[in-house]
Amino acid sequence: MTVALSLSGISVRFNGSRILDSVDLEIAQGEWLGIIGPNGAGKTTLLRAITGAVEFEGSVTIEGNRSSTLKRRDLARSVALVPQHPVLPPGMRVVDYVLLGRTPHVHAVTGPSHHDLDVVARTLEALTLSAFTDRDVTTLSGGELQRAVIARALAQESQILLLDEPTTALDIGKQQEVLELVDRLRKDRTLTVVSAMHDLTIAAQFPDRLVMLAEGRVVAEGDGRTVLDPVLIRDHYSADVRILDDGSGGIVVVPLRSQEPMSDSKN
Amino acid sequence: MKGEEIRPSRLRWWWLVGAFATLTVAGLVAILMGAVDLDARSVLLSVVDRLPFVDVDSGLNGRQEAILWELRMPRVALGGIVGAMLAAAGGSYQGSFRNPLADPYLLGAAAGAGLGATIAIAYGASLPSTPIDALPLLAFIGGVGGVAATYAIGYSVKAGRTPVTLILAGVAVAAFLTAVQTYLQQRNAETLREVYGWILGRLSTVGWGEVWLVLPYVVASTVVILLGARRLDVLSVGDDEAVTLGVDPSRVRLVMVLAATLGTAAVVAVSGLIGFVGIIVPHAVRIVFGSSYRVVLPLSIVFGAAFLILADLLARTIASPAEIPIGVVTAFFGAPFFAIVLRSSRGLGS
Repeated sequence: MTVALSLSGISVRFNGSRILDSVDLEIAQGEWLGIIGPNGAGKTTLLRAITGAVEFEGSVTIEGNRSSTLKRRDLARSVALVPQHPVLPPGMRVVDYVLLGRTPHVHAVTGPSHHDLDVVARTLEALTLSAFTDRDVTTLSGGELQRAVIARALAQESQILLLDEPTTALDIGKQQEVLELVDRLRKDRTLTVVSAMHDLTIAAQFPDRLVMLAEGRVVAEGDGRTVLDPVLIRDHYSADVRILDDGSGGIVVVPLRSQEPMSDSKN
Repeated sequence: MKGEEIRPSRLRWWWLVGAFATLTVAGLVAILMGAVDLDARSVLLSVVDRLPFVDVDSGLNGRQEAILWELRMPRVALGGIVGAMLAAAGGSYQGSFRNPLADPYLLGAAAGAGLGATIAIAYGASLPSTPIDALPLLAFIGGVGGVAATYAIGYSVKAGRTPVTLILAGVAVAAFLTAVQTYLQQRNAETLREVYGWILGRLSTVGWGEVWLVLPYVVASTVVILLGARRLDVLSVGDDEAVTLGVDPSRVRLVMVLAATLGTAAVVAVSGLIGFVGIIVPHAVRIVFGSSYRVVLPLSIVFGAAFLILADLLARTIASPAEIPIGVVTAFFGAPFFAIVLRSSRGLGS
């Protein structure tokens, strides 16, 4: 197994409070790791630490190099992020938006090369955005927009793709579409994928392996059946769930309503 | 799909040709019109006459020659330079702060320059003599000092620092410097009119001294701004995402703001405070040609020059022989435009 990404003792403090507390993880090349955990567990912060957008203690090693020794530009060639709430510049067209993904490759003065434009064109096609190239990004529907944001990340041609809750704003059909797309791209391009995920059933279906974060610490790690445990979920999400077989080898996480509505079932 | 089939935003050469044609027409009209009208043929001959090894009779008398070469032309050149710089600086600030309403005076440059100019006008007689006039010197120092103070305060904020922090620091600095400036102005009521005239902006100039004084700053500043255009496009997706694309947002912002500030302080030193150019020109360009800074910045420079030349033409001809402050002209057209932009903009910094 080739290790694509290795995190060692990652801690992040913000205004004195500890957001992440010595997180250790190793992710193999071509693996899809899902990060789950309740709101505020530190999922987004962990992804931001990998991209260098937040200061941290510990070390992030990317394809053998410590991220702190990499130039920002080189780091961006190795790691791309699909943010949960992308900032959409009014008036920017889809083609220009996806071309931004070439920033770590494009010469700042002479501009994009033929190769850069080819990569953008191929990426637009791969994500069925060819018909949208001249559309203002702020006018796209949820599914189109998510494809555009993923296209921008893919245009970076980095081997590690980070996705921060990539399907939160999408309906169930678009969720499947986007995640199948990510999975297909991962296999075609042997990308290493790390995604923060909200929906536990979907988290059980797509990633190879799951990590549960709570209060900045890794509290469980393993395959879906190991991590998606009713006791763990009750302890960390304060939720009562039942884990069911989906009939084809997978599992489904179903929230249960307590027998007495409104009563305190958290303890 | 191939690379040739996609059309990313870029500056089309014919846009640039159109912009320069507009500038040329504006410049010619402004040279020909004024209290003394000059005819185009004579002006052309006079220009040809100044070429090396050419000797033609332009038909202009000595006084007309002087008006053309020592009043009209330097004034038009200065108008073009100031307009180009203010428009470029406005675009640079708007991109750096992702704020469509940012202008070159945002971070205390105007208030600082105003204070410097007021000191020069009110106490000019008692100041030590300097190689260049005290007024542009102190206005320049004041403008740069205002922005430096804003940056110092903005950077002293430890937690939760955002581009908005810097803008708020600018508000504080500007308020303070304006208070000092107003106090000095009231204490020296006899120079009130002169201070007031400077604050509203004026391009009245005799000879080429001021043109050569500001040109190096403006060239250096606009070159840096133009080279940073692509980086500003990256910044438009926000600081966090810019980092993941391999760009250091605070460094880009520092370089772009520094360049814009130096250029702005230089032109403010010779022209006073001419408002709205830095907002309306980049916005008009954005609406017509698209929002990429690789398009907005170069075209704003050329159209900004044309706009201010025409505004100055109005300023000196509407109430001829009296002059209206050019700031009044730009604001008269700028304020309604600004209101329209405000109505259609999608909210600050979004």
